[in-house]
Amino acid sequence: MTIPVFELLRPKTLAEASELLLKHGDDARLIAGGTTLVILMKQRTVYYPYLIDLQGISGLDHITADGEGLRIGAMATQRAVETSLLVRRSFPALADAFGKIGNVRVRTTATVGGNLAHADYRLDPPPVLLILGADLVLSSPKQTRTVPIKDFYRGLYETALEPGEILAEVRVPPAPEGSRTLYLKYSSLSANDWPCLGVAALLKGNAKRCDELRLGVGGLAEKPLLIEGLELARNETITDSLLDEIARLVDEQISPISDLRGSEWYKREMARVFVKRAICALAEEDPHL
Amino acid sequence: MKKLTLTLSLKGEGRVRVKRLRDYVMADFSVVGHSVYRKDAAQKATGQVLHVGNIEMSGMLHVAVLRSPYPHAQITRIDKARAQALDGVAAVLTGADVAAMPGVDPYYGPAFRDQPILAVDRVRHIGEPVVAVAAADRRLAEDALQLVEIEYEPLPPVLDVLEAVKPESPVLHPKLRAAGTFADLAHVRAGQSSNVCYHFKLRKGDVEKAFAEADRVFEDTFRSPPAQHVPMEPHITLAYLDESQRINVWSATQTPSYVRTELSAIFGLPMNRIRIRVPYLGGGYGAKLYAKLEPLVTALALITRQPVRYALTREEEFVTITKHGVVAKLKTAVKGGAITARKCEVYWDTGAYAEIGPRIVHKSGYTSAGPYRMPNVWIDGYCVYTNKPPAGAFRGFGVPQVIWAYDSQMDIIARALGADPVEFRLRHALDEGEAFATGTPVRAFGLKPAISRAAEAIGWSKPKTASSGAKARGRGIASGVKAVLTPSISGAIVTMSADGSVNILSSTVEMGQGAETMMAQIVAEELGVAFDQVHIVQPDTDITPYDTITAGSRSTYHMGNAVRMAAAKIKSELAAVVAAKLEVNPEDLVAQGRRIFVRGSPERGMTIGEAFLAKFGSLGTTLTGEAICQTTAIPMDPETGQSEKCTEYWFPSATAVELEVDTETGQVDILKFFAVGDAGTAINPKHCEQQLLGSAITHLGLTLFEEMVFEEGRLLNGSLLDYQIPSIKDMPKEFRSIVVQVPHESGPFGAKGIGETGALTVSAAIANAIEDAVGIRIRDLPITPERILSHLAARREKEAHRKSS
Repeated sequence: MTIPVFELLRPKTLAEASELLLKHGDDARLIAGGTTLVILMKQRTVYYPYLIDLQGISGLDHITADGEGLRIGAMATQRAVETSLLVRRSFPALADAFGKIGNVRVRTTATVGGNLAHADYRLDPPPVLLILGADLVLSSPKQTRTVPIKDFYRGLYETALEPGEILAEVRVPPAPEGSRTLYLKYSSLSANDWPCLGVAALLKGNAKRCDELRLGVGGLAEKPLLIEGLELARNETITDSLLDEIARLVDEQISPISDLRGSEWYKREMARVFVKRAICALAEEDPHL
Repeated sequence: MKKLTLTLSLKGEGRVRVKRLRDYVMADFSVVGHSVYRKDAAQKATGQVLHVGNIEMSGMLHVAVLRSPYPHAQITRIDKARAQALDGVAAVLTGADVAAMPGVDPYYGPAFRDQPILAVDRVRHIGEPVVAVAAADRRLAEDALQLVEIEYEPLPPVLDVLEAVKPESPVLHPKLRAAGTFADLAHVRAGQSSNVCYHFKLRKGDVEKAFAEADRVFEDTFRSPPAQHVPMEPHITLAYLDESQRINVWSATQTPSYVRTELSAIFGLPMNRIRIRVPYLGGGYGAKLYAKLEPLVTALALITRQPVRYALTREEEFVTITKHGVVAKLKTAVKGGAITARKCEVYWDTGAYAEIGPRIVHKSGYTSAGPYRMPNVWIDGYCVYTNKPPAGAFRGFGVPQVIWAYDSQMDIIARALGADPVEFRLRHALDEGEAFATGTPVRAFGLKPAISRAAEAIGWSKPKTASSGAKARGRGIASGVKAVLTPSISGAIVTMSADGSVNILSSTVEMGQGAETMMAQIVAEELGVAFDQVHIVQPDTDITPYDTITAGSRSTYHMGNAVRMAAAKIKSELAAVVAAKLEVNPEDLVAQGRRIFVRGSPERGMTIGEAFLAKFGSLGTTLTGEAICQTTAIPMDPETGQSEKCTEYWFPSATAVELEVDTETGQVDILKFFAVGDAGTAINPKHCEQQLLGSAITHLGLTLFEEMVFEEGRLLNGSLLDYQIPSIKDMPKEFRSIVVQVPHESGPFGAKGIGETGALTVSAAIANAIEDAVGIRIRDLPITPERILSHLAARREKEAHRKSS
């Protein structure tokens, strides 16, 4: 459990970091909090002769808000987002999702950008960022572009990042007025474990009349998913048959991977249960259910 | 320790209840029976504890090991030249190199010498050590491993315990050598033409006749999977040659005496050329018994002539030692509402090497039918090789696996007969003096009190709180017993200085269980000195006498008796001096409050210092007492398993739980949990309570989600990222332990032990409560939400099918 000799490169700017990435290609990897990468390197599962440390680049750990919404720097720690009053007030489900990653020791070190760019299929924050319509700012010497988070995830550990590109910021637009959000993490083994699945829901309206419904799920496919076709709930009363219809819609779009936390069958069952629970909890305005 | 200045009030059986501390205190004793603080509390709380990992030596080499990627394969080629050439690498060792060391036996093991120090020609499990490197630092050693080339020819693996026993299965060990180290394994024979390395048999009465005459016969198969111990401190060993070229070993082991014997056998050296020292362990739970890293590290120290340390990573821990996976088939006859016969066929998956499997199959095997009255019993226990990492002792020593089976079935039967599960158990539970299935009468047997206390605590006679919504509530109880390992031996030396301070020399390992505190309490009580005046010298085979093992809840009884007897020898020497001076009968003297005086007349006596001066006429002198506690058993008849005395004493256990099952997800929420165990006299009641809870927590995880998942011999969850243990969030809402105290006539102050008792009955109690809640019976561990939900779904399907047809 030791890491073979490598060189730690410490750029001072994002542009410098990008250039180093381009220069060393597959021999280099960005390191932010390091909570995942260090384990993999210690296990000698992966090896990079060059690690490009983002800790020395200033101005990447901000959490700010204005009329256009929330901006979170990629190097903000997960714990900072979890405990930020700014986030908690305007996007409680987002603070919640960051607060449910691993444990407090991990969250104090691990970063927002490291989490999102790792692109594990079970991450907690992406389902919430999906329902909030977040954009990711990708920086490279050539250009800075903004990618909607639903286009960022391509597959298992696969993202839209091009060579030399670095995830710099997460932008979350204001949530629709009067909407409420919720994130349910379900761990099927120890309560401290990775999720079997995660469900994020946004509801505008109430049980009698649904103005808008959005659902994001994690752990139910090779990548986090934003459920499509939920317009069918618009202006509807939330009844058991509507919930069944929504659950069917979810079931059609997911393709769960059987793993230690549940078989495909079980994850499909749980998707149905937790999607309904999330919607009902929001409809009944009981975020603690 | 601070004096207790608390209100005392008498409460039954000569014990006194200290109201404020809620602890039982024995009326006549000043330290025994009091919940004094742990001896090691301050050290541990301030991080001053010495662990093997804290020991640094100049020139110390570090080890990394290349392990088999195959469950079963022939090694066809090893090329270590490039690794050996790497700067800073001191040695690259293979199995062939070990075998070529003059006078060295490359195989070891407590039951059979079947395990190679490094694989020779063949690998038999994933993660088996094949090549070891000792280098200037750990990274260099790991770098060197990447330069070693090994070619394998994969062989068909034997992965299932029921397949392994079939005649057509490949045989893992064509020849076996019995180790002959332990008296209780003297009956283990060499030989081999199958994967069954040991077969335990018990025959009592005529089961077939009882089945033929029965009103009802119940047949069930129960499974429990291999699992991990997960001590906080992984295995670690440091070995070096001292100035006399003797082998010195610092090791995190629960068996210093055994390790010395094993190294002596492997390296062909006199026992006094080997010194084993053991500082505090960061947990053991059975993982650190017998030889583990010591043979390899010693071989490397002998070859390099430098200090060598090997610390396992957590990932290596997973392929080093495991808990036995078990398949238990039970067939039980009932006539007139009573059990008349039980037949148990138990298959123990011992993995690639027998380790202590045969002892587990024997000692736990004979309890497979349970502590219940039944005239006819038939037990077959098979210790079976498979291509998995070796299985060994695990808190409870195999008994939790058999109780999982028999006490699940007790509930199945009680429910089928319409009997109350508590009443059904109490009706069948053995009474004091009644014969166990082995023919051994049970003594100091607090089984019925344990069952009753558990039932009372959970409110068995009162109605359950109603369930609501998707939640279904249920209650369950389970009971069972473990027998202490017999025969076994504990030796101790106690020395007292003229100022009354005392040293205890004992090979009992402190691994968190509180053994040091127990020993200090007993000796302080015996010699009438303060608890704080007693110091424990940690295991060091140069100075601390032989002890069979720190395991199996045996230390309080065996080492407790040894240190008490050793202390008593000092006391009688002092008493003789005082008696002569005061011209009284030494029998009339007591030792208390650092004085020796006439019982009832504290003013007629001497301080310990005065007694020393009277004896030696000089200051700075010491008195030494030495004692051995040796228990004996009458060997069982090899065909019938019958013995008038198969064990020294028993550990009765009961668990009661109330839980809620979420019928939509299958998740179990434990609302109330009571761990109940008979400790004999509790030397330290608080520690007994904590031991019950600690062992219950371990088995809570094993019951609900812990499992080593294998796929074609590959381990899918070989790290703590994927293998889950209980977290604080998994604890029951209300979680308590109850110490039942049925004193044993020959235990120290009546004590027995309690280290494993809380573990024994957890799984069955939870499964029984789940059936109570949702009406389904789970027979496979772990009881994951998915397993529950799939049972519920299958039942729904069956019902729908029945309705439609």
